Amino acid sequence: MKYLDKYPKKFKGTGVIAPLGKVLRHFFTKTVPHRPVTILYPYEKEWVPDNYRGRPGLRFDRCLGCGICERVCPTTCIELVDVADDEGKMVKRPQVNLGRCMMCGYCAEYCPVDAMTTTTDYELAEFTRQDLIYDPRRLNFEYTTDMMEVHIEEHLMSNIAKGITDQPTAFYKTDRPVLEDSKCISCSKCAKVCPVNAIEMIVVGQNDKGKDIKRPKIDDKVCISCANCVIDCPKDALKMNEVL
Amino acid sequence: MAEEKMNSDKMWVTMGPQHPFSHGLWTLRVEVDGEIITDAEPEVGYLHRGWEKECENRTYNKIIPMADRLCYSASMTWSHLFCKVAEEALDIEVPERAQYLRVVADEICRIQSHLMWLAAVGTDVGNLTIFLWALREREFMLDLNVRLCGQRLTTNYPRIGGVRNDMPYYFERDCMRAIERFEKSLWDIIRLTDDSSIFVGRMKGIGYITRKDVANYGITGPAMRGCGVDYDIRRDDPYDAYGEMEFEVPVLKEGDAYSRYMVRIEEMFQSCEIIRQAMKKLESIPKNAPYRLKVPKCIPEGTHMARIEDPRGEGLMYLVSDGTESPYRLKVRSPVFVNVSASKHMVQGVRIADIPAIMAMIDMCLGETDR
Amino acid sequence: MAYESITNFIVNRGYEDLIAMSPYEVYNLPYDIAVKIWESLGGLIAWLINLIFPNNGVSQWLISDPVTNGFAIILMVIVIFAVSFVFCLLMLWEERKVLGRMMDRRGTMVGLKGFLQCLGDGLKTFMKENVVPKAIDKKIYWWGLSLVIGTSVLLACMVPLSNRWFIVDYQAGLLIIFALFALAPFLILCAGWAQNNKYSLIGGLRAAELMISYEIPMLILLAGTVLMAGSFNINDIVAYQEEHIWFVIPQIIGFFTCIVCAVAESERVPFDLSEAEAELVEGWQTEYAGMKWGLIMLGDYFRGYVACALVVFMYLGGWSLPVIGGEDWYLQYFPEIVFLLKVALVFFIFVLARAALPRVRTDQILNVGWKALMPLSVINLAIVILLKVTGVM
Repeated sequence: MKYLDKYPKKFKGTGVIAPLGKVLRHFFTKTVPHRPVTILYPYEKEWVPDNYRGRPGLRFDRCLGCGICERVCPTTCIELVDVADDEGKMVKRPQVNLGRCMMCGYCAEYCPVDAMTTTTDYELAEFTRQDLIYDPRRLNFEYTTDMMEVHIEEHLMSNIAKGITDQPTAFYKTDRPVLEDSKCISCSKCAKVCPVNAIEMIVVGQNDKGKDIKRPKIDDKVCISCANCVIDCPKDALKMNEVL
Repeated sequence: MAEEKMNSDKMWVTMGPQHPFSHGLWTLRVEVDGEIITDAEPEVGYLHRGWEKECENRTYNKIIPMADRLCYSASMTWSHLFCKVAEEALDIEVPERAQYLRVVADEICRIQSHLMWLAAVGTDVGNLTIFLWALREREFMLDLNVRLCGQRLTTNYPRIGGVRNDMPYYFERDCMRAIERFEKSLWDIIRLTDDSSIFVGRMKGIGYITRKDVANYGITGPAMRGCGVDYDIRRDDPYDAYGEMEFEVPVLKEGDAYSRYMVRIEEMFQSCEIIRQAMKKLESIPKNAPYRLKVPKCIPEGTHMARIEDPRGEGLMYLVSDGTESPYRLKVRSPVFVNVSASKHMVQGVRIADIPAIMAMIDMCLGETDR
Repeated sequence: MAYESITNFIVNRGYEDLIAMSPYEVYNLPYDIAVKIWESLGGLIAWLINLIFPNNGVSQWLISDPVTNGFAIILMVIVIFAVSFVFCLLMLWEERKVLGRMMDRRGTMVGLKGFLQCLGDGLKTFMKENVVPKAIDKKIYWWGLSLVIGTSVLLACMVPLSNRWFIVDYQAGLLIIFALFALAPFLILCAGWAQNNKYSLIGGLRAAELMISYEIPMLILLAGTVLMAGSFNINDIVAYQEEHIWFVIPQIIGFFTCIVCAVAESERVPFDLSEAEAELVEGWQTEYAGMKWGLIMLGDYFRGYVACALVVFMYLGGWSLPVIGGEDWYLQYFPEIVFLLKVALVFFIFVLARAALPRVRTDQILNVGWKALMPLSVINLAIVILLKVTGVM
C-alpha cells in the first residue's frame, strides 16, 4: 500500500520541523512567485464546460408545448403558460420558477425536440421572488451549443439481448399510446390535446342513435410520446405502450 | 438525587447545535469532570426533512436528484445506491460501459468526500492550512465532476439502467492528470499531518473502539476498518465493476482516531488506483457501446435491498414497491447515523479538546443522518 | 511683546531649551517630537488668543516652560502609543497577508494591499451592538476585560524602540515587562469565571493551566540573558550585545525555547488553548461581543508585539545591527526602524508556526513545558554560566 507502508513512522525526533519547512517552502516557491489559487470571483470567472447544468434554457421556436418537461420536473417548478408566439398566436410554453429549480437537467434531457436545454448561466440572484420566475421568452439563452441539448441515448434491453448495440433510442422514439377499443367513447379529446396533431379521429361506424363512432388513429412518425392523450383520456382508454 | 447532582463537581456542557466542531446541526451533550469527559449523549434530528416520506409521492426518476441531496459531499454514491436498488427490483444488469463509468464517478466522489473530511480535520485540530490545501485539491475533483456530470456537487449522474451521459471529450486525459497531481499533492498535506508530532499526538490514543464495539454498535466504513475488521463491500460483495478491480483494503488494528485517519488517507490512494484501472478498462470498450438501458417506469411489486460502500460507511436502501410509478416505502440506512451513536462510547474518558478530533473521524454529514 | 515672543516660541524654541525641565537625562526622540508638535499647536492657540485679546496672560502661560513641558509629556505618550498602535496594525496586516499566502490564498485585499481591512474591521466591531449577558458578575466582567486590554496596551507602550525612544529607562525594565505580562492569565481566569458560561470558564482555567507551563522556562531564560549582560536594563542588554555578540549565537537553544515560550505567552496558535475555537467556541471571550471582542483582538496583537520585542531584546540585539563596513548611518538615524523590522521578522516565525501547526492539547502543553522547555532552558542557563565562569563572554 502506498501510504500505509511508510506510516506510521517511528518517532524520529524531527517534531514539527517537517511541517514548518513544508509551509515555508510552499510560501517561497509557490505562492509568492506565482499567484495563489484563489479566483477573484466577480472579476475573474472559472471556465465552465458546455455541459454545465446551469439554469434551464428554452428555444422558443422549437418548443411544441407538449408538457413533458412539466411532468418530469422533480420540483414542479415548470408550468405551461399561454404566450403569444412570433405571429401573435397564443401557444403553450414552459415557464420556470428558478426559486424552486434544482438544476437537475431533466427537462433538457427528456425534451423530445431539444427545445429545453441546459445553459451555462449560473448567476441567478434577483431581488424579489417574482423576478426568479422566468417566462418563456426570458428563458432564451443566446449561446446554446450542441452539448447543452442533452440527449437520451438509451438501448432497448431486447436489442441488447439480440446483440444489437449500435441503435440508441429514446422513449419518444419508441413508446406509443395504444387504444383499448372497448373503453373509447369517441370524445376526440385526445386529438384536441395532441401538441403535434398526430391523432386523427376516424369514423368507424355509427351507433344506435345515428351518431358517428370515432376512433383515434395515431401517426407513429409524428407522435412524440408526450402522453397528453393518455392523461386526458376520460375513460382511460389510451395506454402508453413501453417498448423495452 | 437532585441534591447529589447539585453537590457534584461535574457539569454538563452542551456542544451544539450551533457549534464549530459539529459540522452541521447536532448536539453532543457531555458531562465533564474538570476537562475529563465522564458521560456523553448525542442528539440528532435537527435537520430532519422527511426525505423518505417525500420519496413516496415521486416517480422513480425524480428520486435520483433527490438522493444527491442526502449528503453534500458523497452525492454520487447515494444516487448510485438508489439506482442500484431500483435495478435490483427490475432485475436488470447495467451495460459494461456504464458500470465502469459509475466506478470512476464513485471513486472521484470518494476522493472529494475524503478531502472534505480532511479539511474538516484541519479545522478541528486548529490548523487552517490543512483545511485550505485539502479544499484546493478537492477543487480538481469537483472540476472532474463538472466535466462528467455538469455539476460540482449535486451530480445527478447515475440513471436506473445506466448513466446519464458518456464521457465527454478529453475527460480521460483530464482525469489522469488530476489523479496524478492529486497523488503528489496529498503527500504535501501529509507533511503537515503525519510528519507533525503535534498532529499525531492529538490523534493517537483517543477515541478507542474495539472489534466488539463495532459489532455492537453496527459501525461501518473506515471507522470499522480502523479497528481491525477486514470488510469492504466493494471487495467482499462487489457491485458494478468493482469485482474486476484490483485494490487493497486498508485495515489497521489500533482502533483509535489516528488509525481511522490513516485508513481514510490510504483509501484515497487506493481510489486513485481504482480510477486508473477503470480508465484503462474503459479504453478497451468501444466508444459507442451502450451505457444506458431503457427501463420501464413502474417497478414490479416486492421488497428489494441494495447496499454500497459509501465514503462514510455502508449505505443501504430498502425499497418496498407496490407496482406503481413511485415507491411504497424507501428506507435509508445511513452510516453516520449508526456511527454517531457510538460517540458516547468513544469520548468516554478523553478531554474536551479531543472531542473535535474524535468526532471528525466519524465524518459527520447531517443530511444523510437526519434525512 | 507677546507677538514676538510667540513667533519666537514657534520658530526658535527647541528641545535644548527644555533640557533643564525635561524628565530625561539623555536625548529622547518622542519627547522632542512632542515638543515640536506643541510648538506649532500651542503656539498657534496662543497666537490666536493673542490676536483677539492682545497681551493676555493665557497666551503667556501656554508658551511658558513648565506648561510646554507638561503638554509635551502628554503628547509624547500619545506619540508613543500611536507608533506602537500603527505597528500592531501592520503586524496584523503582515499576519493576514503572509498567512494567506502560506495557505494558498490572497489574504485581505481592501485598500493599500489589504492594510485598510484592519481599520474596516475595527469600524465594524465598533458599530456592533453592545451585548452584555444578564447573569454575569458585572464588576469582574468589565474590570477583567478592561485590565486585560489595559495591561496589553501599557506593555506595548513600555517597550523602548531604541535608546532614544522610551518612556522611562527602568533599571529593571525587562523584569517589569515580564511581571506585567504574567498578569494577563490571572485576569483571563477572572474574566472567564465572571461570564457565567461554561465555555469561558473552561477557557479561563486553561489560561491558568497554560501559564504554569511556559512562565517558569521563560523566567529561567531571562536569567540567562540577564546573567550574560549583567543588567536588567534593556539599554544595557542591547549595548552589551552591540559591543560583544548577539546572544542568539551563544544561546541558540535559548532562542528557540524562548520563541516557543513567547508564542505561548501571547496565546497564539498552536498554544491558543484558552480560546480554542474548535471545541470552546471562543473560549474565555465567548460572551464578549462587538467592540469588546475587537479590543481583545487588538490587545492580543499588542501582546504579540511585546512577546516578539522580548525575543529581539534578549537574543537578536535589540536595535543594533552588525555594521557592514563604513559608518553605521542607518543606526544613527533609524534604530527604531531596525528594531521594528526585527520584530516583524520574529513575528513571521509566529505566523509560520500558526500556518504549519495544529493546536496542542492541555496535557501536551504541560508535557512540553515541563519535559522539554524546562530542561532546555536550564541547559541554556548552564551554558551561560559556563561561558561567564570561563570568561569567554
